[in-house]
Formats: sequence, structure tokens, C-alpha cells
Amino acid sequence: MPPAGGGVAPPRTDVIIDWKAIVGVLGVLLVALGVALVAPALVGLAYGEGAWWAFAATASASLVAGGALWAAFRPTDELRVREGFAIVALAWVVLSLVGAVPWVWGGVLAEYTDAFFETMSGFTTTGATILSGADTPAIEAVPNAFLFWRSLTHWLGGMGIIVLTIAVLPLLGVGGMQLFKAEVPGPSADKLTPRVTETAKRLWAIYVALTVLQVLLLLPAMSLFDAVNHAFATLATGGFSTENGSVGQYGSAYVDGVITVFMVLAGMNFALHYQLLHRNVTGVVKNEELRVYLAILAAATVLLTLSLWTPTGGLLPGAVTLDGAVVAEAEAGRAVVHYESFPEALRYGAFQAASIITTTGFGTADYEVWPPLAIGILFALFFVGGMAGSTGGGVKVVRVLLILKNAFRELRQLVHPQAILPLRLDHRVVPEGIVRTVLSFVVFYVGLIGLGTLLMGFLGLDLWSAFSATFSCVGNVGPAFGTMGPTETYTHVPAAGKWVLSFLMMAGRLEIFTVLLLFTPAFWKR
Amino acid sequence: MRAIVVGAGDVGYDVARLLSLQRHDVTVVDTDPERVQHVRDTLDVLAVWGSGTSARTLQEARIADADLLVAVTDVDEVNVMAAMLAERVGKSAEETTTIARVRSDEFASDDSVLRLSDFGIDHIIQPEQSTANEVVSLLRRAAATDVVDFCGARLQLVGIRVEADSPVLGMTLVELARRSPLPFRVMGISRGVRTIIPSGDATVQKNDQVFILVETGRVGEVARVLGKEVGRLRHVMILGGTNVGARVAAGLAGRSRRDGGMEVKLVESDRPRAERLAETLEGVLVIHGDPADIDLLAREGLAETDAVVAVTADEESNLVSCLMAKHLGVKKTVALLSKSAYIPISQSIGLDAAVSQKLSVSREVLRFLRGAHVRSVATVHGLDAEILELVADAGSPITRTPLANVRLPRGVLLGAVVGDRVEIATGRTQVQPGQRAVVFATPERVEEVESWFSA
Repeated sequence: MPPAGGGVAPPRTDVIIDWKAIVGVLGVLLVALGVALVAPALVGLAYGEGAWWAFAATASASLVAGGALWAAFRPTDELRVREGFAIVALAWVVLSLVGAVPWVWGGVLAEYTDAFFETMSGFTTTGATILSGADTPAIEAVPNAFLFWRSLTHWLGGMGIIVLTIAVLPLLGVGGMQLFKAEVPGPSADKLTPRVTETAKRLWAIYVALTVLQVLLLLPAMSLFDAVNHAFATLATGGFSTENGSVGQYGSAYVDGVITVFMVLAGMNFALHYQLLHRNVTGVVKNEELRVYLAILAAATVLLTLSLWTPTGGLLPGAVTLDGAVVAEAEAGRAVVHYESFPEALRYGAFQAASIITTTGFGTADYEVWPPLAIGILFALFFVGGMAGSTGGGVKVVRVLLILKNAFRELRQLVHPQAILPLRLDHRVVPEGIVRTVLSFVVFYVGLIGLGTLLMGFLGLDLWSAFSATFSCVGNVGPAFGTMGPTETYTHVPAAGKWVLSFLMMAGRLEIFTVLLLFTPAFWKR
Repeated sequence: MRAIVVGAGDVGYDVARLLSLQRHDVTVVDTDPERVQHVRDTLDVLAVWGSGTSARTLQEARIADADLLVAVTDVDEVNVMAAMLAERVGKSAEETTTIARVRSDEFASDDSVLRLSDFGIDHIIQPEQSTANEVVSLLRRAAATDVVDFCGARLQLVGIRVEADSPVLGMTLVELARRSPLPFRVMGISRGVRTIIPSGDATVQKNDQVFILVETGRVGEVARVLGKEVGRLRHVMILGGTNVGARVAAGLAGRSRRDGGMEVKLVESDRPRAERLAETLEGVLVIHGDPADIDLLAREGLAETDAVVAVTADEESNLVSCLMAKHLGVKKTVALLSKSAYIPISQSIGLDAAVSQKLSVSREVLRFLRGAHVRSVATVHGLDAEILELVADAGSPITRTPLANVRLPRGVLLGAVVGDRVEIATGRTQVQPGQRAVVFATPERVEEVESWFSA
């Protein structure tokens, strides 16, 4: 083999997977995590909380260990796709493993499992919490440094996911995310800027700017600390709140409104925000995924509002008990809630629709006592999720759109067996290969939920709770139904179940293929 | 006028023939000695053997004296280069008009990098696009077999086929005129291979193609006078994904239904070609299959289709497909034919309309030259007549009395007078000096007609 002429040596081909390079890159991530951990330490100091040292200690350890790994295993060769997959999946694991440490060292949580669950839930922008449970402290009792750390994991996770969907996943060809490149509208062709790092910087700038804007808008209604935390959780579509009653605690229509708007913005493709900044309004308005996203949101809001408002919702049949009797007061002792005033119904309906479709998971009301129709709508929104290229989870609007188009194409093909029917998105033909990966993505997505439900059932959860919790975690929503509803927590899940759910959160966040690939024998073969 | 036609293929031959018929001095240039010989033998023109890309050949064709160069070979580059040469070695860029046939879309849109003026081309002809435009316009005016605009689109000449069940069979033109208060005038009848410039006592017969001059926008009313009731066409099937077929599909689909958009199916036998068409033609249902496979067409709802456009490369199969469609009750059929010989019979065997790239191009050349050098303003399929727009001089014979008293020669018909407003000619019409008149004449009467309009 001739010596390489350029500065970068060609990828190594003599090993199946270059572990050293992976460890080296993870070292860099640990250094970054160490830097991030300084922030909650400072918050702790500022509030005079004794636990600040837990963050300072973890930060130091992380910095030292990360620096050492980087120095020792600094990758000299170009990374291959294989290492890319491994790094993406391991990054979330390693960051959560280390990020969980302060919870235990600081004495807030007794169990490392709980700490890991909470941190993974943060980094994956899920927002499922174990706090305020039977044997965990109530949110109000947790020191501010820890609350800030939770929100910060959201915010950093959101940042990570933006760069991942734009730069990394398309390169790896995961589940139709290549589409994301192609469906950025406008004359500026496929990419925003030719270089990935440049693109990432611009999108982060938008992310930061939106966060600052939301903080400013929230300030009139809450403290700076609360505003920052809620803005972090909103833009990342996470859902951790500094209040036990989530956003509902503020009881302010203004707060609900601001957060609703920013949730919707966070569920949008960030490349569209970039286009808007560059005044490419027509391109954005014509974006098919955006239109569908907003249409679903609007339809869900209207239906929720109508079913929640007493005059219209009262016309709907009440819950039906097993023996067939229609009752206005539903079973399990819970009354079905209706709102007397229309603005109230709209306020709660719109907030919950936005919160669920963007997979944020904030709550202003206990949707479990809503009428059956409303619950059904929310359940459907769990599946859809945000737009590709947003911080939201779920299947993603564009994939739902494509599988629907594909299904209707099959119908049409039956009528015209010899017709050639290309699928289009934004008037452009979608390559068949992408349609195929999107279909397999949905198969895996549903399969993972099925498997997760079985496992959780095996661990003793009732079927409805097991199913909805799995559904919620794979989609990175947060709250579920049943024993993990919006007013409940995940504390009572057995330790094994918490690890399973953590894994599902990560798999869902990383578009499934990235994680599943590591479990396929072919990946480990030459 | 002196004209040079580069390329003696189907199109070039036809352009040369038309120009020569109108008494222009035409020189044809072609690289194929046999074609050159054929032109010499059959047309009253000069033919030069050589390439249009050679300055020497063009000089031999006396480019220095030419007013017009029409480059219509099969090769875009040759046509463009001939036009560039004409600008260099010809009289001057202003005095020599150049028309080039260019298939590429490179010049077509407004944001093209290359401009026609970069190559000294005055007008570009895209045969496929011209033909497709014609088909689209025929389908939009469902009842007509031909529609040609006159006088800045203030008048239209409409060809309508008389069916066997038409209520006007056997009527004279005078009787026909009484059926409606609408002013219109029958300017020509194409019967079999003959063209008749009719007088008032001529009768309408089965399978005649009647050419009627009428104010723009009245096509539907005229069609009703002849007993044709055709609603809007909604479903169109295009047989053959040729360039013409693809452009027709693009022209018909992609509009909203209210805006005249139609549901279009396109049948193409070549799989890769069909796939490419499916990708480029949004809103068109592209079907991969043999356009001549009647079973396939029936399955795809041929019988429920309003119009069939057969534009495969095989003209016989185009004819047969259209006949089959007509047999199944399709309201409107259009076939692409390349041999002029088939055009007259297409009418008598029951087709609604025939288009040919050759005629579309000739039409376009003439339309471009209108007013400048050429008297004839239009050519119509199967109508072997000159259509002239003439300005009446002060004191010319035509202005002296109302038309009822003017004894125009046989084979000459005055259709309309255009001044500030359009007037369809009747016996009471009197042509005023300075007004333009639309006149139909058989080719041998042209000079005689002109004498009526000059003082």
C-alpha cells in the first residue's frame, strides 16, 4: 500500500471495527460533558446549595477521563460508517451513565437506576420522570442545581439531535432521513451550506436564539430560573418542568400560550426556520411536510376543543362501561371533564395537542379524565410526532405522510395495474429506496413497541400502562396513560423495566436503525 | 423575396414548396444528393448539394442576396450554425431573417443562459412543441378539427366535420346561414381530396370538413349550427410517450379543472421512457404498455375517455387506434401523421383531426413571416387554398360597391373585413379604403385577387 499523500490517512481496513477511534471520540464527548456540568455546579453555588460539589466532582472526573481517553486514543484514521454508527449509539449511553452520577453523589436519588433513567430521559428529550414518586423526592424538594441539570440535559440532547438529523443520519442512510436533505425547500438546493459544521452552527444559532426569545417572553410570568428551565425543555421538546404540576402549576393563559407557540416552533424542521430567516417564505409555505404538520395540529386542536367544551362535548357519548351502559361519569371513579367556557377548552386543547404531537409532554391538565374522543386523538398524536429535522420524536410527520401516500398508491395500482406511479413529496419524486427504508422503519418502530409492551407486561405492569409507557418512551413523549399518566411518574416501574424503557428512549431518539444495527450479526462481520 | 432553406427533409421540403408556391425565389441546401435531386425534380426551386454549416455552400446558394434563411435539418447544431453563418456572410443581421429549428429547450425559457440573439437567430421553431400546442388547442375547442387565429386573434377559422347524422346534410350554405343569427361564413369545404371555395348554393355533404370564419370565442355556437354538441373534454388518453405526446400531456394536465385542466392518461411501451415520463409529468397517469393493445386500452377505460390523441412514431397505428377509439364512442380523436397523403383521408374515414409536425412547422414559418414578406397568413390541413389578408387601396375596385354587386372570380371568397371592428362579410358589406380583408383563394387566383385591392 503506497503512503497516503494527503494529511488524513485512509480508513483502516485491517480491523472489523476501530474501537480505539470510538473510545477517542467518546473521550471528546466526555470533555464536553465535563464543561456542561460546570453550569449546574455554578447554579448550585449561586443558590448556596451544598450539593454543588457533586457536579464539580463529576465535571472534573469527566474532564480528566475524557482528556486522557482523547490523548490516548486520538483517531488518526478517517472514521468509517461503521464507527459512526457505534459512536452515535454509545454517545447517548456514555453521556447518560456519567450525567447520572451527580444525582447519586449529591444524595438526591438513592438508586443509580433512577438517576440513569432520569438522565437518559433528559438527553433523549423524552421528559419521563421518576421524581415525585413514592420513594423519590418531590420536584419542589430537589435542589435547583439538579433541576437545572435536568433541563440542561434536554437542551443539549436537542442540540445533539439537530446536528444528528442534519449531518450524521443522512450520511448513514438511516430510515429515509436522506429525505431530510432533499426536502429543504427553496432554490438553495439541497443543503443549507456546503459544509456540515457550518450548517450545524447556523441551526444551533437559531436554536439558541429561539431559546433566548422564549425566556424573555416567559419572564413576566415566572422567575428567571423557571423561565430558563422551561425554555430549555420546550425547545428540546423535552418536557421536564421545575414544578410538580408541570406548566399547569402557573395557571396562566399567557404562559400556556407562549409555551404552545414555542412547542409548535420546536416541532418544526429547523432548516425551515433557517429558510424563514433568509426570507424564503414561499419555499417554506409550500413545504408539504409543514403543511401536513400544521393541518394535523389544527385538526387535533379543533376536535379536542369541541370534545372538551361542555355544549359540544356533552353531545358526544360518554364512556361505555363493560356491561354496555353509557355513563357520563366514567368508570374508575374519575369524572369526565368538560370546560364550561370555550376559550378554556381551546386553551387546554391546543396546549395538549401541541405538547403531544411535538412529543414535549408538558401538561396543563390531566388528559386521562378527558372524554374518550379526546384521549383517542392524543393517542394518535403520540404516533405522528414532530417534523423530521426538529427536536421532536415519534415516527415523524414526513414518514407518516410517505407511508400514507404509499398505501394510497397501492390502492391506485390495483385500479391501474400497468400504471407507473411515482411517489412525490414537494412535487419531487421520492426514490423507491427511500420509500422502502421508511416502510421498514415503521415496521421496526411498531415492532419495538410490541416487544417493549411484552417485556413491561412480563415485569408486572398492566397492559394499558405497559403499552402506553412503551409507546411514549419510543416516541420520546414522556407522560403516558394508566399508571404512568400525566399526573403519575415512572417511579414504580421495576428497575429492570427502567433499563428497558431507557433503552427504548434511546432507540427511538436515534431513529431505531442506528441502535438496532449494533445488534445485527452482519454489522460485526467484515 | 429570396429564401434559403437548409435541410430538405420532410419539413424543409414542405417549407420550400410553400414558399415557392407563393412565388418566392427559393434555394434548398442539403447534404444528401438524392434529396437534392428529388427537390430539383419536383419543386420549382434551386437546389444546392452541400452542408449548411459550410460558408462556401451558403455562398454558392447566394446567401449574400437572401432575405430569409430557414434552417430545418434534423440536427440542432447544424441549424444554429447555419443561422450564425447567415448573419456573418449574409446581407446584414437586420436584413436577413433567420429561422432555425431547435429541439433543445435550452433557448426556450426566459431564464435560459443562451439567448437566440447570441446566435443571430430571429425565430426558433420547435416542431414537437408546435404540434403539441396545436393538439392542445384542438382539445380545448372540442368540436373543431382545426382552429386558426387571424387578425391578432380577433377572428378564428374553425374546421368542423359534418357527421352522417348532422341535421344540415344537403343544405345549401344560404340555408345554413339562416339557421342562426350568428354572423359566420363558410370559407371552404374539404371533400375527399378536393378543396372547394364555395358559393352560396353549394351544399353540405356527409364527411365534409367545413371551414368557417367566425369571431373569436364563438366556436361552440358555430358547432351547434352544424348540429355538433360537444361538451368540455375531461378525460384524455394519449397513446405514445413521444416528445409530442409528453408535451401534449404537460399542456393538458397541471392546471386546475376550472382552468381547463383535464385528466390525462399516457400510454408508453418503453419502460424506462415511461418511468421518466411518470417522474417529469406530475398529474399525468403514465401507463406502461403497448399503445396498440386494445385490451389494455379498454381496461384503462378507453370507452369512457372523451378524447384520444395518438402520437406514436407509427402513423398507421395512430390511424387505427383513433378509428378504434371512434368506434368505441370516443368523442374526439386526434392522430399524428407524417405523410401528407394521409391527411385528406383521415377526414373521410372518420377521424376528427390530424396533426403533422411538417404542417405545424410550415404554419409557424408562415406565421412568423406574416406581414413582412409573405401574403398568405395561414395554411390549414387539407385545405388547399391561400388565405390572404389584403389592404384595400383607396379607389380600388373592391371599395366601389357593396359586396353583393362585386363579381369576384370563381374560387375567391371574401370572409371578413377588419377595421376598427371585425365584420363578417355579407352582401351588404362594403369594403372601405384602408381596411383589411380576409380573402380565401385557390392558388392560381392569387394575383387576380390582388388586382381587386389595388387602385
